[in-house]
Amino acid sequence: MELAKYSALARISIGNNLVYVKDFFMSSLFIGIILFIFIQLWTVVYGTEAEVIEGFTLGMMIWYLVLTESIVTSPGRLIEDIGAEVQSGTIAQHLLKPYHYLLFKYVTTMGSTVLRFVMTFIIGALLAFFFVGGIKVTLWSVPIIILSLFLALTLHYAFMAAIGVMAFWLEDAESLYLLYQKTIFVFGGMFMPLDIFPAWLESVSKALPFSYVAYYPAHLAVRFDVNEAISVVGMQIVWISVLSVIAWALYRFCVKRITINGG
Amino acid sequence: MDHVIKVQNLSKRFKIKQKGKGVSGSIKSFFAPEYKLVTAVNNISFSVKQGEIVGFIGPNGAGKSTAIKMMTGILYPDQGSISVLGYDPQQQRQELAYHIGTVFGQKPQLWYHLPPIDSFNLFAAIYDLPKSEYEKRLNLLVRLFEVEDILQQPVRKLSLGQRMRCEMMASLLHKPKIIFLDEPTIGMDILVRKKIRELIKELNEKEKTTIILTSHDLEDVEQVCERIVIINNGKIIYDGPTVKLREQYLHWKRIKIIFAKKTNELKLGLRYCTVLNKGNDEFEINVDTRHERVQKVIERIMSLQAVEDITIIDPPIEEIIQELFQKRHYGTRKI
Repeated sequence: MELAKYSALARISIGNNLVYVKDFFMSSLFIGIILFIFIQLWTVVYGTEAEVIEGFTLGMMIWYLVLTESIVTSPGRLIEDIGAEVQSGTIAQHLLKPYHYLLFKYVTTMGSTVLRFVMTFIIGALLAFFFVGGIKVTLWSVPIIILSLFLALTLHYAFMAAIGVMAFWLEDAESLYLLYQKTIFVFGGMFMPLDIFPAWLESVSKALPFSYVAYYPAHLAVRFDVNEAISVVGMQIVWISVLSVIAWALYRFCVKRITINGG
Repeated sequence: MDHVIKVQNLSKRFKIKQKGKGVSGSIKSFFAPEYKLVTAVNNISFSVKQGEIVGFIGPNGAGKSTAIKMMTGILYPDQGSISVLGYDPQQQRQELAYHIGTVFGQKPQLWYHLPPIDSFNLFAAIYDLPKSEYEKRLNLLVRLFEVEDILQQPVRKLSLGQRMRCEMMASLLHKPKIIFLDEPTIGMDILVRKKIRELIKELNEKEKTTIILTSHDLEDVEQVCERIVIINNGKIIYDGPTVKLREQYLHWKRIKIIFAKKTNELKLGLRYCTVLNKGNDEFEINVDTRHERVQKVIERIMSLQAVEDITIIDPPIEEIIQELFQKRHYGTRKI
């Protein structure tokens, strides 16, 4: 019964979001422009001499970026949405339904997140093909890569949910979100693979959970390794569990301090 | 009859951050925030029997919405206890949600870009309604609310009245025992208001649903509710039958007149009318409807002078509150 509830929510959210497909496309296109700049940048860095940097060829580097950009940007404006719901007071309607707000948000957000991910990835992949060509991927690794990408999006959501529910209490969690976003950009490995960092920073960044949002799944996709795949998927599940508990605890704390505005 | 809602010594305060002027004020409020404590609900107690229609009324910011939000479990009280259908709303919000319905005039629950039928189907899944039961219920409500024609139109294309009817329907699909309506008629025209009021009454009669209604419009509450609770500054200042309130305090009508010609004084010669000269040829007359018919007063006015504009209104809720406090009556002196 519970599952039926949330799958019904996921379905209706996709229907409601289809109106925004054009908006999604435009934002994906914009990310395409950023990717284009990065492609130019890395092409210059690799120049004519360097074949491989820290184990990455130019092609691998570009495909890596396509994936990290697609993951990180796909949840859209989740935290702003939660903030807006709190500020307008419409949050009341969700708290008054027999479902858990965080799970409700997860299933309704994942629909549009996956849609946006696919669009950005397609645009990015076209650019990558055009400028650097394809890379070698073994067929049987594809389902594992997709699983890891899905878990990455879920972990990304869990982080954002934990930050988002603080809006219940602070009314506005966007400054916290910006902090998280920049952390993912750098320590999560969105801008560049963590292997490029100095050794100490590399090991610190790889141990932090942010790397499982961007670095590891993208790394798996461009340099697949069975042992790494098992440990990455395992760690993703561990971190999703940890962050879900944190988000849930923060929710319990913050929901008591909510002020429902208006009316 | 059983009490379905019991509220005892309920209080709620809000901390409101105070910010000084300009940049220096912002910086100061960041490092040493100052808070002002606002008491929204101040030690109120009441109970509601099954099948009652109770209207909460009071000026904006009086605390009626805060009280409703605490009864439904979305706001946490600072003090006092609440029991709704035997549940503790704060601890058992989701269990309680299966048995209550809520409509907020300013907080839509229907999915904006989709037709209402999609939202209804979703709510059926959310409330675990068996298919056959849901279809029966839906058909009944569709007929009652007269929404056959708009079921397939996206919500964003509906008028305010149509949307509110669908909002109410959405809250009734799971046959709630209590329905909370917070300002359901806000921003609506007279005809739509009338329709909504009729629906609320019909629901109460047919299904014995307990109804808690808030409004800042006295007429809404007066027309629908058998019992009125007036809240002002977080306190209950009246809790009793509507009939009694009407006899004691709602026996006034106010007539506003603008004369076509310059007029300094208006002598009606009626005992139960008070005339106030508002200047600019505008007069206000309070009529005690226990002793004088409004029609007669208007006939008298018309016979005296050419009138440019005339309106009849109820005295605003604020004045009734003032009257409740001071037991002040408009003079019965003869003019």
